[in-house]
Amino acid sequence: MIQARGLACDSPEGQPLVEGLDLALRRGGNLLVTGTSGSGKSRLLKVLAGLERPRRGEVRVGDIAVWPGDGALALAGHVRVGFAFATGGLLSNLSLADNVALPLRFLGVPGAAAARRAAAALERLGLGSVSHLRPHAVGGSARKHANLARVLALEPELVLLDGPLEGLDAPDRGAALEVVRAWAGDPACTLVVATEDADPFVGLRADHLRMGPAPAPMEPT
Amino acid sequence: MAFLARLGAPVRGFLEFLGDQAHLVLRTLHAGLALRSGPLAVVGGQTSLQVRFTGLDAGWLVAGTALLLGAVTLIQAFSQLSGLGAENYIGTLMVVIILRELGPLLTAVLVIGRSATAIAAELGTMQLNGEVDALAAHGVDPYQYLLLPRWLGVLVAVFALVVFFDAAALGGGFLVARLKYGVTWGFFMGSVRQALSNLDFAAALLKVFFFAGAITFHACHFGLRVRRSQTEIPQAVTLTVVSALVAVFVLDGLIAAFFYF
Repeated sequence: MIQARGLACDSPEGQPLVEGLDLALRRGGNLLVTGTSGSGKSRLLKVLAGLERPRRGEVRVGDIAVWPGDGALALAGHVRVGFAFATGGLLSNLSLADNVALPLRFLGVPGAAAARRAAAALERLGLGSVSHLRPHAVGGSARKHANLARVLALEPELVLLDGPLEGLDAPDRGAALEVVRAWAGDPACTLVVATEDADPFVGLRADHLRMGPAPAPMEPT
Repeated sequence: MAFLARLGAPVRGFLEFLGDQAHLVLRTLHAGLALRSGPLAVVGGQTSLQVRFTGLDAGWLVAGTALLLGAVTLIQAFSQLSGLGAENYIGTLMVVIILRELGPLLTAVLVIGRSATAIAAELGTMQLNGEVDALAAHGVDPYQYLLLPRWLGVLVAVFALVVFFDAAALGGGFLVARLKYGVTWGFFMGSVRQALSNLDFAAALLKVFFFAGAITFHACHFGLRVRRSQTEIPQAVTLTVVSALVAVFVLDGLIAAFFYF
């Protein structure tokens, strides 16, 4: 599902984060990306999703050239991608329900069906009662869960999760982890999780990529 | 060499800006042509929101400004031309000053002040919050969801506001003409109609089209360029206002030269 070759990317300040990364993740495979804060996990996820342009290298997702190419726009209509951001990522002028339903409308799902799928996803993550509220009116954990709900409703072929458990209390972590495990066990879904703390994902059958603080050629183990 | 590089840098920057504007316009046009029935309702909804904000919500402001401008134009004209048969030139004055020039120009200035600033600030904030990234990541084309509705909305709103502005300015002018010279509505409108030509309509339509494009794409360019910090947002707003004003005045001059020179 994901092929990356000779990938090199920098931080926004221009500091090298990844140098010469080769990556191959089959359809239905799982990849756990770990590393300390600032090691480039989020950057790598954004490069793989086509949101950030790498300094060098190639990325293909579902056999479609993302880099060099049009980035995420090249995937629209070809590969359903779900990306749960560590922070932000929800449209502040839409309710949580509309945030979750919006990508479905662009997929061609009719309004009523999109609203039903959005409601079901939000309900599964315990956000049914606040689905009519806008992101600024709910807490940080609800915003993180709404990010997950948006991915869930999309039924994506590729799921990219950036710190999905960070900042969540125990019950919320449990709910999020349950959803992540379901994606990890789904052969139709390819999962990439970036996290500082790998412990909660110990049982997950996944390749493991450790991001080092210093730029060095990396290989998945 | 350093001196030459310093001289060339602004030129290169300007050419890059023009290239980026052309890229935004072409991508948005392409996104509009590629729009399928599913997202059409969403884009339509966003467009109507933009029309409401840029057009309807600015209605009273535009009407008040135009009414005063129409009245002041004729007060000044009469004060300078009294005794020279100024009332015979009412139509020509209104058409040349208001309908041809100040109507579209001042409407564009008001839209830049109200809407272009809002668009730049909104898009800048969306960039910082990762909202634009989130749209693209989930298959929502930002050109379709963000740029196209703003362009269409501003286009419709500027067209409606120019018509509204011209009507209100004619109303203000008529009030002065009526009070000063007892001019009748029929004489006033007959005089305006006589001075108007098809060329004026064509020039006005062209101005509406280009002004709306310049306003929208300048705001989108500077808004989407925000990357790292909130301090970039007021800078983007300021750049939008200055740059869009310059663009609108240049376009106005070019269109006036093309049609009337």
